[in-house]
Amino acid sequence: MDTEKSPGLPAVDLGGEDLLEPGTALLVPAETSGYPEDIGLFRADSGVYYALDDECPHEVASLSEGWIEDDEVECPLHSSRFCLRDGKVLCLPAVRDARTHKVQVLAGRVLLHPGTAAGGN
Amino acid sequence: MSIESILIVGGGLAGFTVAQNLRTRGFTGTIDLIDPAGIPYDRPPLSKAYLLGDKDAAGIELAPASWFSEHRVGLLRATVHALAIEPLGVELQDGRKLHADILVLATGGSARPLPVAGGDLDSVLVLRSRADADTLRGKLAPGIRLAIVGAGLIGAEVASSALALGAEVTLIDPVETPLVPAVGPELARRLHAMHSGAGITVVHGTPAGITRTGAGRRIELADGRVLECDEVLVGIGIIPNTALAQGAGLATDNGVLVDEHQRTSHPGIYAVGDMARTRSADGTLQRRGEHWEHAMNTGATAAAAILGQEPPVHGASWFWSDRHGTHVEGVGDMNAEGTTILRLKEGEPVAAFNVAADGRMLGAAAIDGGLMIRAARRIIDRGIIVPPEALADPEVPLKKLAR
Repeated sequence: MDTEKSPGLPAVDLGGEDLLEPGTALLVPAETSGYPEDIGLFRADSGVYYALDDECPHEVASLSEGWIEDDEVECPLHSSRFCLRDGKVLCLPAVRDARTHKVQVLAGRVLLHPGTAAGGN
Repeated sequence: MSIESILIVGGGLAGFTVAQNLRTRGFTGTIDLIDPAGIPYDRPPLSKAYLLGDKDAAGIELAPASWFSEHRVGLLRATVHALAIEPLGVELQDGRKLHADILVLATGGSARPLPVAGGDLDSVLVLRSRADADTLRGKLAPGIRLAIVGAGLIGAEVASSALALGAEVTLIDPVETPLVPAVGPELARRLHAMHSGAGITVVHGTPAGITRTGAGRRIELADGRVLECDEVLVGIGIIPNTALAQGAGLATDNGVLVDEHQRTSHPGIYAVGDMARTRSADGTLQRRGEHWEHAMNTGATAAAAILGQEPPVHGASWFWSDRHGTHVEGVGDMNAEGTTILRLKEGEPVAAFNVAADGRMLGAAAIDGGLMIRAARRIIDRGIIVPPEALADPEVPLKKLAR
């Protein structure tokens, strides 16, 4: 596990909960979130929102341009798959997990917590 | 018989995948993986990120050293001299003998030498291993004249990387437009044109001989043309490494023959990756798969079969290539009898689909169209019938059609 605990940034309101259709994603640029890296916001087929660092841990590729199915995203370049819930890499060629960011849907708004791991506080 | 020990010969992607899948599938016995190169590494970066120096040796490892200790997979840095059948095992080059209940052969392939005078010169470069990439990298410098024989995947990728490193690159192929079988003629033409567009000298010709000229090399072509260069790299495919299998009397035919569960003609020996060739239940010999994913898939199948578990289902074959800042992918079969449907963007073909008379998609290829290929793959695997006009229409997201 990642022991390096980066301080979470203030939550960013990305829009209403219908912001994304299930099975699609959105790039949240670093300038928008204040986080040093671009973040991918994903809406799984179930309708739940998740966020990961946008750049694939394998090579330069944007996971928000990837293929979303169930609660996984497949990199659009070399097809490594990552679990949207915990960022775990599910197949080669990537060998490292993707970093997660907490997403909340509160009062109908999608709130991204850049730098706070999903499931964390 | 309960299986207590498994010995994997060859630590490429296929061999590594066997070890990894054996553990995920719950095998608790002994696993040893033998390879002279040590920790298994990924080969696709050898012609790109590793050659360019964007990734180092640790950056292309398939798993860190800690993975092997955590998963109790022994790594033996050694070369296998021969297989032993009774009892089953291997003899290493240093004379040591190891035994196991199951052997898995994952010895891959060697670069196919150019069958012309001088084609086997020691000085002719090839690219199969990390050591080959290190050698090539050591030769590449601004202004170095590199001639590459073979403009398939490796040749095209090295040409692009060498150009980025400042070399003067000449790319030679006897075929006017390489890669037509993989991506179809329309995309192949566009891809091949990128080489000259980037500043590579593209030569359509057949090398007839290579000679040394002082520090340099001279390539004579069959039509009499002569090319002078400093270094020659040959990338014209591989020869499967079947010597160990042949020495042990296993059935081979341009690869070690295996059934659909990667079993060789010996019940205790499996073969995976580039060097395995499937003989179907009806006796038909399949084309030997050489792509990255095929290595991984056959490794996964073998692991399941060894443990007597349900083998995974693999879909249409898939490959990628990266060159000149573009990403190419193909899935399925672009060669099978069918009709080509092109998707154009600003007048240029970005994707080609091969569709059978009954409407099923047989194959697809795309340039910078990863999502289209991911959709096409599902369309092929699930037998979804898609209207041809939707395939051709760049406004229609293929993903909608794949659901």
